[in-house]
Amino acid sequence: MHMHLHLGDMNITSALIAGLALSLAVGPLGCFVVWRRMAYFGDGLSHSALLGVAMGLVFGISDQLGMVLIGILFALSLMWLRAQRLLATDTLLGLLAHATLAFGILAMTFLGADEIDVHDYLLGSLESISSTLAIWVIGGSAACVLVLMRLWPSLVLMTTSEELAHAEGVPVARYEFILMMMMGLIVAVSVQIVGILLITSLLIIPASTSRLFSNSPETMGFGAAIAAALCILTGVPLAGAAELPAGPTIVSLSVCLFILTLIVAISRRTFSRRKISQ
Amino acid sequence: MLIEARDVSVFRSSYTVLDNVSLDVAADDFITLIGPNGAGKSMLLKTLLKLNRADKGSVTHTPDLKIGYVPEKIAFDRTMPMQVGRFLRLHNKISDDDLAALCAETGASHLLARPVADLSGGELQRVLLTRALIGNPHILMLDEPAQNLDVNGQLQFYKLLEDIYADREIAILMVSHDLHLVMSSTRKVVCLYRHICCSGTPESVAKDPEFISIFGDEMARLMAVYPHSHTHDHTHDHARKPDNS
Repeated sequence: MHMHLHLGDMNITSALIAGLALSLAVGPLGCFVVWRRMAYFGDGLSHSALLGVAMGLVFGISDQLGMVLIGILFALSLMWLRAQRLLATDTLLGLLAHATLAFGILAMTFLGADEIDVHDYLLGSLESISSTLAIWVIGGSAACVLVLMRLWPSLVLMTTSEELAHAEGVPVARYEFILMMMMGLIVAVSVQIVGILLITSLLIIPASTSRLFSNSPETMGFGAAIAAALCILTGVPLAGAAELPAGPTIVSLSVCLFILTLIVAISRRTFSRRKISQ
Repeated sequence: MLIEARDVSVFRSSYTVLDNVSLDVAADDFITLIGPNGAGKSMLLKTLLKLNRADKGSVTHTPDLKIGYVPEKIAFDRTMPMQVGRFLRLHNKISDDDLAALCAETGASHLLARPVADLSGGELQRVLLTRALIGNPHILMLDEPAQNLDVNGQLQFYKLLEDIYADREIAILMVSHDLHLVMSSTRKVVCLYRHICCSGTPESVAKDPEFISIFGDEMARLMAVYPHSHTHDHTHDHARKPDNS
């Protein structure tokens, strides 16, 4: 099969390896986003990405490093503002997200980026996938997977009950910050492919799909990774072949998978209820 | 002493939550902490647990103290799929046999395969108590454990607690509103209103003028209705003072 993929300077194999690595990270990490209600935080974080890119241009560092640094700044500002107990968290997030987005777009314009560049960041573009980016994706995802595996019981416990975790010696505040950092890293490595507007869905939709069939946190994390892999590994080639924007293609596929799973889950439940009542 | 608190004070912004509280918990104590809302009971428990740092004074744990903590409640979210068995093992190491024996003791065996989110208030408290007992703690610390249970559930829970106290070498420190229900098992009542107003056996506390001024005659009379009795057999190895009542 011949596909005309515009994948920058990279071949399809490394693109798929990067996609697989990303899936293994966004699946379980997305579960924490769902469990801990961090979806809006993820949204806010991705809005700050443009500012990170602009910072990268100004200081001559890579886009990803710029986004990671801005992400850290974003999380620290949020934690500090929250500790002041003056405004609700969603207000603070809205403020930070739109402030960073507005400053980011202005900075990009000022630095001479044309509309296409900004557009690419908002919606994602396959042409941005370079071998450098693939290394960032694989490295960042591997780091997340390792940290998640190592801290898994503590992270799940503190999500269940912060008090219990605290009493059992889990450094809750530090681990919460680590979770934020992992989200920042995932946003930084994948925002150019999926796009600022849609990146949170990469975290929450596979996790939500997996929730419908899981009976433990572990199976939910694993199932989310599989769901993410299905969508990314079919979405990237599909978008390339049909010359569609990458982010919307991947997200549409994952929504379809979610709806399909939902229908199966609901009909299975109805069926087993009928069996019980008979 | 398992835990020694000396002149502990805790301040929050402009007011004093705990004012010079000193409290000792011995290895065979069964202490119930009472007091009106906002008296600082939970804060004292958390300070004794070292979850919260005392702004003044000190809290000392005996070396290698193992605490089983039962929080007031946990808000278990339905988005987290978790069965009781997994929850008990989470962040804990316990063998299958030990877990089975423990669940038989607390009456949680039939709950192991159930999703935690589906448990009733009483079942959840039973599970939290089971989890707190993993690793054979020296002391159980409970924060209003029966507050969301109906009267029957409360009775069952306190009966279970009493059995655990009788069967194990364990100290219990509990914050509770249901003083009339724990009267028969608790050995010592500490009445807190930012500072310790009075402490002692339930009978002596019920007669204390300061107790009556805080809780009113009604509570004092209610306590008198439920006399302190120890009809069940204590199999503790360590000596207990005979009851003079």
